[in-house]
Amino acid sequence: MTNHFTMMIVFSLLVSLVFTFIAKTGAKERAQYFLYLFGSFTLISIVAGWLMYPFPF
Amino acid sequence: METEAVQQEFKAPGIEPSIFHTASTCIAAALVPGLGHAVMKKWDRALVFFASITLMFFIGVGLQGRVFGPDFADLFSTLKFIADAGAGLLYWVARLRGMGAGEPTTYTYDFGNVFIYVAGLLNMLVVVDAFDIARGRKS
Repeated sequence: MTNHFTMMIVFSLLVSLVFTFIAKTGAKERAQYFLYLFGSFTLISIVAGWLMYPFPF
Repeated sequence: METEAVQQEFKAPGIEPSIFHTASTCIAAALVPGLGHAVMKKWDRALVFFASITLMFFIGVGLQGRVFGPDFADLFSTLKFIADAGAGLLYWVARLRGMGAGEPTTYTYDFGNVFIYVAGLLNMLVVVDAFDIARGRKS
C-alpha cells in the first residue's frame, strides 16, 4: 500500500466511484462514466509524472 | 389513512418538500457520509458514499496523515481544518480518539494528508447532492 502507484490507483478508484454516483444514474451510464474517470485519473497522473521527471526537485 | 394521505401528498410532483426535511437530510449527510441519502432511501448511493469516504479517511490516517485541528492562525491552517472537518463525525471520532497525529518524517505523510482532505471535501459534495435530491432538483 505504501507504493506510490498503488496509492494513486486506490485514490483514483475511490474518487471516481464517488463522482460517478453523484453525477450519473443507471448502471450502464455509471459504468461508462466510472471507467472514463478512472482511466483519465490514471493516465493523466502517469503523463504528469513523466513530464515532471526531468525536474531537479 | 391520514398518514398515507400526507405521505402521498408529500411525494406528489410539484409540491415543495419541507425545510425541516431538507435541513435534517443535510445535517445527517454532513455528520455521516451517505446517511443523508440513506434517509431518502437512496441505498446504492448511501452505501457507496459511506464505504468510499470512510475508507479514504482511514487509509489517510493509516498512511500517517495528520488530522488537522481547529487552528485559525493562518489561511492554510484554516483551509486544512475545513477540508478535514468536512468528513463529519469521522473527523471528530478520529480527533477524540487521538488518531491522525501525523508523522511528517514518513514519506506517506503527504499522501495521507491528501486522502484525509479529499475524504472531507467529497463529503461536502455529497451534502450538496443530498440537498439537491431533498429539494427535488435531481432524482
